[in-house]
Amino acid sequence: MSTIAAPASAVVPTRPATPKPLSCVARFAGREFRDALASKWFLLYTVAFTVLAVGVSFLSLSGVGSHGFAGFGRTAAGLLNLVMLVVPLMALTAGAGSIAGERERGTLLYLLAQPVSRTQVLLGKHLGLSAALVCSLCIGFGVSAGVLAWRAGGVGVGAFAMLVAFTSLLAVSMLSVGVLISVVSRRTAISTGLALFVWLTLVFVSDLGLMASSVVFKLRVQELFGLASLNPLQAFKMAVIVNMNASLDVLGPAGAYASQTLGGSLPWILASSLVAWTLVPLGTAVLLFEKRGSV
Amino acid sequence: MLATACHLIASVVAVAATAQGPPAPQQASAPQPVSVVERMIDRAAPGDELRLPAGVYQGNLVIRKPIVLDGSAGVVFDGLGKGTVITIAAEGVTVRRATVRASGQDVASEPAAIFVGAGRAVIESNTIQDALFGIDLRDAPQCRVRGNTVRSKPLDPERRGDGIRVWSSHGTVVEDNVVNDARDMVFWYSEDLRVTRNTVTGSRYGLHFMYSHGSVLDGNTLDGNSVGVYLMYSNRITLRGNHLRNNRGASGYGIGIKDCDDVTILKNALLANRVGVFIDNSPTSIGSTGLFESNLIAFNQVGLLATPSTRSNVFTGNAFIENEEPAAAHGRGRLMGNDFARNGVGNYWSDYAGFDLDQDGIGDVVHEPQSLFGAMLASEPNLRLFVHSPAQQAVEFTARALPELRPESTLIDPAPLVAVPQTALASAGVPAGTNRMAWLAGAMLAGAAALIAVMATHPSLGPISRGAPA
Amino acid sequence: MIRTTGVTKRFGPVEAVSSVSFELDPGGSLALWGSNGAGKTTLIRCLLGVVSFKGQASIGGVDVRRRGRHARALVGYVPQELAFHDDARLGSSMMFFARLRGVGRARAAESLDAVGLSGHERKRVRDLSGGMKQRLALAVALLSEPPLIILDEPTSNLDASGRGEVVATLQRLRQAGKTLLFASHRPDEVISLASRVLVLERGAVIRDTTPAQLWPTEKPVQVVRLYLTMASESAAADVLREAGHAVHLNGHGLCVAVPRDRKAEPIAALARRQIEVRDIEILDDIKTPEAGR
Repeated sequence: MSTIAAPASAVVPTRPATPKPLSCVARFAGREFRDALASKWFLLYTVAFTVLAVGVSFLSLSGVGSHGFAGFGRTAAGLLNLVMLVVPLMALTAGAGSIAGERERGTLLYLLAQPVSRTQVLLGKHLGLSAALVCSLCIGFGVSAGVLAWRAGGVGVGAFAMLVAFTSLLAVSMLSVGVLISVVSRRTAISTGLALFVWLTLVFVSDLGLMASSVVFKLRVQELFGLASLNPLQAFKMAVIVNMNASLDVLGPAGAYASQTLGGSLPWILASSLVAWTLVPLGTAVLLFEKRGSV
Repeated sequence: MLATACHLIASVVAVAATAQGPPAPQQASAPQPVSVVERMIDRAAPGDELRLPAGVYQGNLVIRKPIVLDGSAGVVFDGLGKGTVITIAAEGVTVRRATVRASGQDVASEPAAIFVGAGRAVIESNTIQDALFGIDLRDAPQCRVRGNTVRSKPLDPERRGDGIRVWSSHGTVVEDNVVNDARDMVFWYSEDLRVTRNTVTGSRYGLHFMYSHGSVLDGNTLDGNSVGVYLMYSNRITLRGNHLRNNRGASGYGIGIKDCDDVTILKNALLANRVGVFIDNSPTSIGSTGLFESNLIAFNQVGLLATPSTRSNVFTGNAFIENEEPAAAHGRGRLMGNDFARNGVGNYWSDYAGFDLDQDGIGDVVHEPQSLFGAMLASEPNLRLFVHSPAQQAVEFTARALPELRPESTLIDPAPLVAVPQTALASAGVPAGTNRMAWLAGAMLAGAAALIAVMATHPSLGPISRGAPA
Repeated sequence: MIRTTGVTKRFGPVEAVSSVSFELDPGGSLALWGSNGAGKTTLIRCLLGVVSFKGQASIGGVDVRRRGRHARALVGYVPQELAFHDDARLGSSMMFFARLRGVGRARAAESLDAVGLSGHERKRVRDLSGGMKQRLALAVALLSEPPLIILDEPTSNLDASGRGEVVATLQRLRQAGKTLLFASHRPDEVISLASRVLVLERGAVIRDTTPAQLWPTEKPVQVVRLYLTMASESAAADVLREAGHAVHLNGHGLCVAVPRDRKAEPIAALARRQIEVRDIEILDDIKTPEAGR
């Protein structure tokens, strides 16, 4: 009470300092992470992903006893399919809800009325959700790695670690796309719908379209590879396979072409496709969020 | 001159005295010309055992007397990059426990570490390095090549020589050798061979048979070669209990069989190859068969690939597990001329979708795999880029939903097994590295916990911690 | 403290705020007056720099568009209704904003105490009453002791007692030298808090005046004298003060200042506490309780 009832002579009180930008980002990241942890989607996705990953690990090991060395390859292939379906869905919807949700609840205006910038809010949210997603993936992969260690042995530890790393990168990049969707959507329903549409496009439509184009237009292998690696999911898949097999020849002529012409730089090229899918949508989201000035 | 001779005799005696002990470390004495060894051989009687003193012997050695040359003291034969290092020109020579290195590199003259040009030689427990060809037998029947380690020169695979080459040398035994990074372990025009427990890695063809009939290949491990075992124009070959894995080079077959009659492929493990078994026009003769029994064919890109002309092979009791494509015809076509069951026993297919109501272990509906994506791959190989993706699943799902899109099945197994049969894979327990995987699992869970600990800790105001107003 | 020149905000073809220019000195108190849709809320959002607009606006000499973060550091903002995450607990929400504004735990507790919310730290935001939420919003606004408080119809969702609490707190803030800018559509609030009124209509300022000039004859506030039993008089005074009324006891009943159109409110407040009113008298002499200086 005493601070408020200060003497009337203090007409111009001392000015409060503007908080440091990075600490604001950290505050928002922490808040987003805590909110995610407490939320139903996080729990649901983590449980679902863990159950599916463990299930895939078990299934791929069943019937062959303990041939761990090959067991991992198959597990990885199974996990690959699972990851490509579930992780983009997780990340896109999480991102799609981020800004649109706050906007709909009316909390966005209140946050922006604090001494923070829109960029800080957006980056903080992205960082916090990224951490939450990675945390969720680590739990799912950790449990299934435990199953593999128990049932199959540990050949392919490095490959598994790379799978986790690239899956995290995929999640973060899809989160960026989700955040971008969120920034341009007025309502959560719209942004979630858009996110599902993008998910469907990346997971099914673009691949099926590219398959059809490959047949119809007789695409050359380099064109096919180039177009496919623009899709973050395909880039992710190829990056994981390159790290597992040291070559893309399992992917037929186009993969063999890529391995031969690009050689050692192939993993980097694929990784940079994912990094671009992280930075470009996030950068666009920041620009749009700053420029549109809507709450 | 006399002094040298005295010195030599003294060393021979000294080495002979300690021969039963562990190999002495290679002495730092200066390299000697190989003529030193030649003179020792000249002095020895046929059948004598020569235990050479430790040291590096430089030059090209030719052995023309049936003796035993033992290098266990730490003997190195160094060809100085010229010609063949050791040439065996007499029957019944044994060379053992020596290091043989630095042959010539001229492909035309095919220089080797050890060239065997006479029968009944024993080449045992030698270490061969930096040799264009490793051990090269020509017209040398009844030899025994055992327990040698061979590594070729650091060249492109097609410019390397063969790790072990057996040419027109009937009745030879090749066992327990390890060949890394060479071209082939190859057998030409030789019959009644026993090829047992060899390991070949990083080479072109692990075991390569050309016009070599009536041989047994037993318990070999072929890992990470372009092709594991390639049989060409060779009849009556038995492959039993071999491990063929990660053979995924340009050809990339676990076992390739070209124009061979009466092969028996029994209890082998074919894992994670580009193609598990590739059959090219075998058997060729009317009345002969190929038998594939109790093999484990798992995790390959294509389990079984055969040219459409292939017929008269019998597949029984094999386990086809989680191959991307279990069986396919090379190009377009089907595998209908082959039998996928014998005496009512078919094979196990992990993609079998039937059931076994009468519980006799045999599925009640025939196995007719129909993969639309597989059929698409046959005509559009480029589409393989899309395997392992949800789009592939979508294609298969579409085919299941729309029967008119379903392709013809490539094969029919009339008696599919519903449980994994007893395949003879003697994979030893849980492979090494378990702990590392467990560590990884622990690290990831700990990482998640740490992330939660760092990100989710947030101070809160509470009745206890509340600071008193000033 | 605030200076704007030609602030204009368009939503498509509609000008929600149309070339608004004004200045507000430190320590002043400015009310934005106008019907719904007149542009009060939009103008406040422009001042906070959370929406884009044309024209110039600065707070304490800091341009809100170019250096919005620094400008907002000088402002405590109280929205129409508190928009916290409903699941969050009061204590942790408070700490979030405290850390965001770079103040410590002690100051956060103090600020909470100042609005009478100590002891409610474990409550979830969704379980708070409307009045408590607005007090919480005030506590957050006051965390870093900013010189300027901007409020957007801070009492519109509150009942009479909640309103009284908030108005009383704001009066104390004025006395403490804070600058106030608030939107309102209640004359009594404007009269009791503002020294100056901007009347907005369709986004434009149509009058820049004082409350006394705006309502010279309307006599919006009347004094009602309540007659109670002697025993209940002091308890009743406390109840009414708690409800935010200006009360004085002068031996001839309780005198309460009330808006002209809400004369029954004190009686209702007392009735809720089972205090019986024997009689009432509406006094003719109008006293405008001009607050502050």
